[in-house]
Amino acid sequence: MSPSPAAQASVTGDGDAYDARLLSAFTICATIWLLITTAAGLLISFKYSYPDLMTNPLLSFGRLRAIHTNGTFYGWASIALVGLALWVAARSSGVNIQARKTAWWSLILFNVSTIAGTVLLDDGVSNGSQEYREWIWPVRVLFLIAALLSAQVVNRTVSARRGHDIYISNWYIIGGFIFTAILIVSSLIPVYQTGLGQVAVQGFYMHNAVGMWFTFLALGITYYVLPKSLNRPIYSYALGVLGFWTNLIFYPTIGAHHYEFSPLPWWFQSLAIVFSVGMLVPVWAGSGNFFLTMRGRWSIVRRSYALPFVVVAIAYYFLGSTEGTFEALRSLQAIWHLTNFTVGHSHATMYGFITFLAWGGIYALVPRATGKEPNRIAVGIHFWFALIGVTGYVLVLSAAGTAQGLTWAAGDPFIASVEAAQPYWLGRAVSGTLMFLAHIVFAYNVWRMTLAPARAPQREVAVGVPA
Amino acid sequence: MTNRPGMNDVRTLSVSAAAVYLVLTFAMCVFPGFALSATKPGPGVQPLDAAEARGRDVYVAEGCSYCHTQQVRPLQQDHVWGRPSTRGDYAYNTPELLGTERTGPDLSNVAARQPSDVWQYIHLYQPRSVVSASIMPAYPWLFTVKDHAAPGDTVVNVPPGFAPAGKVVVATAKAHDLVAYLLSLKQAPLPQGSPAP
Repeated sequence: MSPSPAAQASVTGDGDAYDARLLSAFTICATIWLLITTAAGLLISFKYSYPDLMTNPLLSFGRLRAIHTNGTFYGWASIALVGLALWVAARSSGVNIQARKTAWWSLILFNVSTIAGTVLLDDGVSNGSQEYREWIWPVRVLFLIAALLSAQVVNRTVSARRGHDIYISNWYIIGGFIFTAILIVSSLIPVYQTGLGQVAVQGFYMHNAVGMWFTFLALGITYYVLPKSLNRPIYSYALGVLGFWTNLIFYPTIGAHHYEFSPLPWWFQSLAIVFSVGMLVPVWAGSGNFFLTMRGRWSIVRRSYALPFVVVAIAYYFLGSTEGTFEALRSLQAIWHLTNFTVGHSHATMYGFITFLAWGGIYALVPRATGKEPNRIAVGIHFWFALIGVTGYVLVLSAAGTAQGLTWAAGDPFIASVEAAQPYWLGRAVSGTLMFLAHIVFAYNVWRMTLAPARAPQREVAVGVPA
Repeated sequence: MTNRPGMNDVRTLSVSAAAVYLVLTFAMCVFPGFALSATKPGPGVQPLDAAEARGRDVYVAEGCSYCHTQQVRPLQQDHVWGRPSTRGDYAYNTPELLGTERTGPDLSNVAARQPSDVWQYIHLYQPRSVVSASIMPAYPWLFTVKDHAAPGDTVVNVPPGFAPAGKVVVATAKAHDLVAYLLSLKQAPLPQGSPAP
């Protein structure tokens, strides 16, 4: 099979440098959003302990909370993972990124939608406190267009591939774009979203936004970064395919577990719990596949500055998702539901898994693209501050949630649950500070890998199909 | 692109994955959405009036539901918040405000617990003036501080130490609407002898 004319045309000339500029631009924009939205998160974490800190409508808890969650989702994680996904789609297909202008427009629209959503939320313009879709519909339509444009870039790039097979990474990446487009459209149509109907849609949306967008993109990137960095093939291609289809079938069915004991139909909640147990199959297949790929190569992991991030991401994927399965059981939800335990869980997955994976991907691929290395001591500070920060965060919020749930179950006055959680909330603010410091160090490294003048002699830019 | 059978064709892979996901989206999102949207209001459940509806917009804009649920679960520990919520309670509840975190008390039946608008205004202006351990944000921007009250002003008698000295605190239209909404949050009694939800 010979490469298509489009591929032949663009591998010549400045293709690699152009791809590097695209990857750098996505990474820089994502990093700016990481700094802005986690600064918002850090401020509101202190408001649990100091509720009269910076009392101002523009800095109030209820507005910044939505800015933090939507901004980290759509500004940081989405832009970071899409940039990496475009690069992975091209390199694993043995071609340059196709439809480059479309890719730039996609990046612009991702940023415009995140700016508009953030500014509007700060002004109190919200879709109604529905988590991860607080942006009003025109803003979400802009985001949808941005995602569709990137989907077109991936489609063109993978279609121009050299060789017969679509590499497993691109299954996950293509899938992630398709599912997300369907998901956003289904969340925009209002005719079946009155009263409890909207609750059913919200349960579906909030869970699928995590599971069908971030998880698919992150797994797709891992299936490229891990073999590439270890210089050995993935342990089992078949496990990757199994993970793809089981993720697709089980994940969409479990959203209602966010509304256990609510007036949603009991069978609907029960179905979500059953499939939450089913989620163990793709989670263990995926994380097992990654760990088996690393077996015997731990010396490479220790020498690499990118792979430790990937290892943490896979560990949190395994732990966080398995925790999610148990959390869905009614006996445990009776205590943990509606408490801070859920917030701890969402940071285990969105930060421990998704964000660490994005960092691993950036440290692994951006230096290959630009030929500029990060500062290794700074990478170490970034890694340990972020790891200790998020692990502390998850532990103290799990403890806080348990304390809240137990005081409720004991029949204490409500304010006792606030007082019981108070010491843990200070621990959350301290952990959050460590995480935010890590982000500043990361931003410095992004600058070193992209805009900074080149220091050492540039190394060869690696191009080609994955191992 | 001929000669690329099965899942090694981008279009085949995309269409089959999309087909599976569309079926699941209909089953788990669209169909339940339609079915539950048709829920009839329970006995005694009323739509909001104009002021209460504007108050709900303030509630949404300030993100109250990130800390306050509006769902009473059929669990022993939730009895303090009222009777277990039923589907008919939510017929007029769009946007839905069930919430997923209970950092503060559930508000499904708050008007029965705190029916005093005086208390509600003071609490919104500075929660710690009435509940010392509260961590709820203060909302001074829903109030204006004046030298003298004008006729028709709703003066908020904030406890000493929390009020600006020598001034009066007056509720804005947004505060009026928000309190009207909060005082509309009252569970309708279930008909005698109806089965537990």
